[in-house]
Amino acid sequence: MKFLAVFLGMLVLVGMGCAPKAVQIPPADQQQLQSIQQGKYDSQSDKKFKDGEVLEEELARRDRDRMRDLSLKDQKSAAQFKDVLFDFDSYVVKDEYFQQLNETGNWLKQNKNIRIIIEGHCDEKGTVEYNLALGQKRAEAAKAYLAKSGVDAGRIKTISYGKELPADAGHTEDAWARNRRANIKFD
Amino acid sequence: MKRIKFIGMILSMCLFFIVSLADAKVYLDVFGKSYKKITIGVPPFKVEKPDRLRMDMTELLHKDLDFSGFLIVAPPSLIDKELTDEGIEKQEIKFNNWRSIGIELLCKAKVLEKDGELTLEAFLYDTFDGSLMLAKRYRTQTGEWRKVVHRLADDILLTITGEKGINSNKVVFASGSRSRKDIYMADIDGQNVKRLTNYRSICLSPSVSSNGKYLSYTSYKEGRPNLYVFDLENNREIFVDREEGMKVGTSWMANKAILAYSHTSGRYSTIYTFDVDRKDKRSLLRNEGIYTSPSFSPDGTKMVFVSDMYGTPQIFVRDLVSGDTKRLTYSGSYNSSPNFSPKGDLIVFVAKFEGSFEICTMNPDGSNQRVLTSGGINDSPHLSPCGRYIIYSSNKGGKSTINVMLFNGENKRVLRFTDGDEVQPRFVP
Repeated sequence: MKFLAVFLGMLVLVGMGCAPKAVQIPPADQQQLQSIQQGKYDSQSDKKFKDGEVLEEELARRDRDRMRDLSLKDQKSAAQFKDVLFDFDSYVVKDEYFQQLNETGNWLKQNKNIRIIIEGHCDEKGTVEYNLALGQKRAEAAKAYLAKSGVDAGRIKTISYGKELPADAGHTEDAWARNRRANIKFD
Repeated sequence: MKRIKFIGMILSMCLFFIVSLADAKVYLDVFGKSYKKITIGVPPFKVEKPDRLRMDMTELLHKDLDFSGFLIVAPPSLIDKELTDEGIEKQEIKFNNWRSIGIELLCKAKVLEKDGELTLEAFLYDTFDGSLMLAKRYRTQTGEWRKVVHRLADDILLTITGEKGINSNKVVFASGSRSRKDIYMADIDGQNVKRLTNYRSICLSPSVSSNGKYLSYTSYKEGRPNLYVFDLENNREIFVDREEGMKVGTSWMANKAILAYSHTSGRYSTIYTFDVDRKDKRSLLRNEGIYTSPSFSPDGTKMVFVSDMYGTPQIFVRDLVSGDTKRLTYSGSYNSSPNFSPKGDLIVFVAKFEGSFEICTMNPDGSNQRVLTSGGINDSPHLSPCGRYIIYSSNKGGKSTINVMLFNGENKRVLRFTDGDEVQPRFVP
């Protein structure tokens, strides 16, 4: 889905960029674009691509960006961040999440270019205002654990959403347990 | 006049009950039985030529008076043609007839409409002795007819109870869905709903200053929860706190443009005040843990707030002169969202019971705690400027709605404004 979105976005951009020349991208070239998107090259189509009127440099630059994004994406997708769950009205990181946070910490120490945001969330119980503060404390607790394990605290931002963004919209004990969480996102 | 004395007596009886029950935990439906509602008759307003508007106006007055919780409005079926046709002046009224059907107070009114201008002339009589309790004339544009009816209702309540009602009040609240909430302002009767924010983001915790000029709220519109103060008159932002962390929980001091809010970041929470006129931000209280939901006493000498300094959220009061802090709530593991009455006699808050969160009240020293709701997640209680009504949000497993009730838990009503999940209501002073 994401690729499709990027691809469509590119098409629009290319389309706009070429508007004065009124160049239309033939279906064949669209296929080229798609294969470029997917990182598949063959010399034949590459040549054909250069022959085209599509802005070559621009595409090359995008290609480089894309490769870099891809590698960052690969790097990021290698990281498997899991939610840290909390007890009701608590912002104490439980023992059972130490191992998981240690792994996150080790990964962050190996990938020093990556910055993260820890989001703190609450279940629907309790007051809106207190939960906004509680979510902040949950995010801070996860951050403090990572910082203690040696990750530079300057790479970690925190944000609380209180009970505004539940992971599970249900009203059961299970849903509430899933929603009392700190989750890690890339900055 | 005798009626007023009678009501005075009832009120003092209520006070007696409050005092005598001070130490026991009492559910208010028991307490509520100790005062008697007064029956009022409101026959259709007189007009030159009967039309829809006259009925609408009469119906709205019925609704407003019923909404007050202090009155029983006699059903229209009780008032026969003879009573309806009677004039509105004292000498034209046969008070005996009204008394015989159990009506204690009688409100008669006349509507004149000319060139888009509407005049409402109203009289309030005590049927016991036929004495005139209130005579008022209101003028407005025809399109604004709801306003004059609300004002008449509030004036009737002022005459009977010594305090205006809330029919002319406005409220602010946050409404929306997951990941998008906006701040709205509306008349309490659900009319004139106006969206004040439009950032495709989450906006929360609205509060309006006592002069009605400034709106404060928390919004994620710049990516993280910042605190904004907006000048409603000049339509511009006048203060933003963009510090790292959560900034939320605003309340304003009475008669001053001073705002208090909490900031939680790292290990600490700080309660700040911000003086809008002096552009002066000060730290009032700073400690480890959570400190949030500040609310001032009307004289500005005390501040209630929530802290988890003993492990669970509890309500504390801080004397701003001496700096002493006293814990107010000891029962239960969750007491939060306090709001000081503008009259200074009551603190309304939320307490957790088993699986539910209930609206409760207590005296400013923590005594006399009462539970006013039953079941669901009730939140963000706020007392009206007259100190007698509590507006709050209630969620019983579906959508969150805005509700209003009397300070004793009676006369609960659901208010309807938008299609969204409505939370954090506040009266506009």
